[in-house]
Amino acid sequence: MTDQTRPPFRLNNSELWTGVIGIALGVFVIRSGLKLKLGTINDPGSGFMLFYIGLLMCAFAVTIVLASITEGGPTFGSRWEGASWSKPVAIIVILSAYAFALEPLGFLISTIPLMLLLLRVIDPVRWTLAIPLAVLAPLSVWWVLKHALLIQLPSGMFEIG
Amino acid sequence: MDVLVNVMHGFGIALQPVNILYCFIGVFIGTLVGVLPGIGPISAMSLLLPVTLSGTPESGIIMMAGIYYGSMYGGSTTSILVNIPGEAASVVTCIDGHQMAKQGRAGPALGISALGSFIAGTFALVMLMLVAPSLASVAIAFGPAEYASLMVLGLVVLTFLTQGSMAKALLMACIGIVLGLVGLDSITAQPRLTFGRIELIDGIGLVPVVMGLFGLGEVLLNTEQAIKRDIINAKITQLLPDKEDWKASAGPIGRGTILGFFLGILPGGGAVVASFASYALEKRLSRTPERFGHGAIEGVAGPEAANNAAAGGAFIPLMTLGIPPNVVMALLLGAFVIHGLQPGPLLITQNPGLFWGIVASMYIGNVMLLVLNLPLIGMWVKLLKLPYNVLFPLIILFTIIGVYCSSNNVFDVYVMVGFGVIGYFMRKFGYEPAPLVLAFVLGPLLENNLRKSLILSQGDLMTFVERPISAACLVLAVVLLIAPLLPALRRKREMVALDEGA
Repeated sequence: MTDQTRPPFRLNNSELWTGVIGIALGVFVIRSGLKLKLGTINDPGSGFMLFYIGLLMCAFAVTIVLASITEGGPTFGSRWEGASWSKPVAIIVILSAYAFALEPLGFLISTIPLMLLLLRVIDPVRWTLAIPLAVLAPLSVWWVLKHALLIQLPSGMFEIG
Repeated sequence: MDVLVNVMHGFGIALQPVNILYCFIGVFIGTLVGVLPGIGPISAMSLLLPVTLSGTPESGIIMMAGIYYGSMYGGSTTSILVNIPGEAASVVTCIDGHQMAKQGRAGPALGISALGSFIAGTFALVMLMLVAPSLASVAIAFGPAEYASLMVLGLVVLTFLTQGSMAKALLMACIGIVLGLVGLDSITAQPRLTFGRIELIDGIGLVPVVMGLFGLGEVLLNTEQAIKRDIINAKITQLLPDKEDWKASAGPIGRGTILGFFLGILPGGGAVVASFASYALEKRLSRTPERFGHGAIEGVAGPEAANNAAAGGAFIPLMTLGIPPNVVMALLLGAFVIHGLQPGPLLITQNPGLFWGIVASMYIGNVMLLVLNLPLIGMWVKLLKLPYNVLFPLIILFTIIGVYCSSNNVFDVYVMVGFGVIGYFMRKFGYEPAPLVLAFVLGPLLENNLRKSLILSQGDLMTFVERPISAACLVLAVVLLIAPLLPALRRKREMVALDEGA
C-alpha cells in the first residue's frame, strides 16, 4: 500500500483498540503461565500451555493492530450507527441488578419485577399483557421446576418459593 | 449382518415409550427453536442440558440430538415464510425459498424442504451406522499425539471458516483455550486463574458461557435493531411438490446429501458450511443459473438436504473420536460427560445400547419431523407472529433458569450475564463466538493430550510429525493458516465464510 492510498491514522479506530485489549490479555496470560511454572519439555508444568497460548494471543493481536494501522478500520461510533444502543445498555443494567438481587430476595420476588421491567422498559408491551406474563411465566417455571423436576430455586431471605 | 442385529437392538431401546417421548420433546423443541428467529439449537440445548440429568443417558442424549436435527427442519420454515433464517444453517434457504413463497409457491418450497431434509437425514443415518463402527476401530490406534493434532486441525478449520478476519478468529480460539484451562490442573491439581474464587476451582461452566455468548448476546444485539418481518400471509396449500418440482429437485437433493454428509464429518465444518457449499454447487451446475435468487426450487432442495445430512455426519467424529466438530456437538459432549460417559472409540463396544439406541431414535425422530413440519405448518406460522418484545424477556427468563439449574449456583448467573455482555461487544466488533466456544471445550483435552504426548516422547516434538495421522492433520492446519495470505485462496475463504453464531 502506498502513502497516497493508506488511510490516515485515527485514534478512535475500534480495530486498533480491540487489538490492544488482545495484547493486554495475552500479556496477562503469559504472566499467569510464568507464575504457574512452565516445567520442562519432558515434563510440562501447569503454566506451559498458558504461556504459549499467551504468546500466540499477543502475536494475533499484534496482527490485528498492524492491520488496523495499515488498512484503517471503523470508528467506535460507526459500530452503533442506526442502532438504538440504549436498549442493550438498559437490559445489561437490569440484568446486573437482578443477578445481585436473586440470592437475597429469592427467585419469585426478583424475577417478577425483572420480567415486568423487560416487558415495559425496553420495547413497551401493553400493561394488560405485560402484567399477566410477568407474573405467570416465572410462577409456572418455578412450579414446574419445584414440583415436577424437584429443582429448588433460591427462596431468599423471605423464604418465598 | 452385525449391523442389522445392532440396529434391531437400537430400535428396541429407541421404541421404549419413555425414549419415544424424549425423542418427540427433542424434535418438537428443535423445530420450535428452529422456527423462532433469535433462539437457536445452541441456546435450547444449553437450556435443557440440566433436564437430561433426570432421566437415563439414552433418553437425555436422544432428546438433545432431536433438538439439533429438529432445528435444521424448523429453520427452513422461517426462512421461507419470513425471510429471516430461524437458525444459521437456513440462511441460504431465504434466498430462493422466500422468493418462491412470494410467488405463491410457499407450499412446494416447504414441502421439498421437509422431504429433502427427510431423505438426507435418513441417508446420513445409514452412513453413520456403516462408517462409525469401522472408524471407531481405527480410532483405537490413536495416541495423544494424534488427538492433539486433530484438535488443532478442528480449531484451525473453524477459524478458517469463520466470517471476517482470521487473526480475530484465532485470537478468539486462544481466549477459549485459556478459559477452558481455568480451574484445577488435571495433572498437577494446581489451581489456575481462579482468582481465589472457590466457584472457579472446577472451572467455568460450559452452560453459562454458551448461554451468555449465544443466548443473551444474541438478545442484546437483536433488541438494538428493529427486526423487519415480511410474513407471507396467504393460505399455504399444496405442500406436496409436483412431478416437475421433484424432477428439478432430485439431483440437488442427492448432491446436497452427499456433500453435506462429508462436510459434516470434517472438524470445524457442519451444517452452515454444507448449505452454503450446496447452494454454490447447484448454481454452478445449473443450465439456468440466472433463476437462482428468483425462486429456484433447486436453491431450496440442495441446501436443505445438505444441512440435514451434515447434522447427521457431525455425530461421527463425536461418537468415534470423542472430538466435537462444532459447538452443538460440544454441548452434546457435555451431555455425555454429565452422565459419566466418554464418547470415543470405545463407546460403541462398551455401550452398544446407547450408540445404536441414539441412531435408531434418529430414524424415529426424522419421521416425527416429517409429521410435525408438514401438517402443523399453520401452527408454526402463527408462532412466527409472536412479537420480539414479548419473546425476548421469555428467552432471558429461560436462559437464567437453564444456567441456574445446570449448577444450582447463582455465581453461574453472574458468569452468564458477563459473557452475554462480552458476546454482545464481540459481535459488535466483528469477533465470532463460535471459535471461542469450541476452543473452550477442546482446550483442556488439547492440553492434556499435548502434555501426555510430550511426557511419553520424552520431550521429542518429532512425535507429532513422525506419526502419519498426526502429521497429516498438522500439514492441513498449516495450509489453512497460510491460505488467507494468498489472494486467490482468501477470496475462496470469504465466499464460504460463515456466521455460526447467527
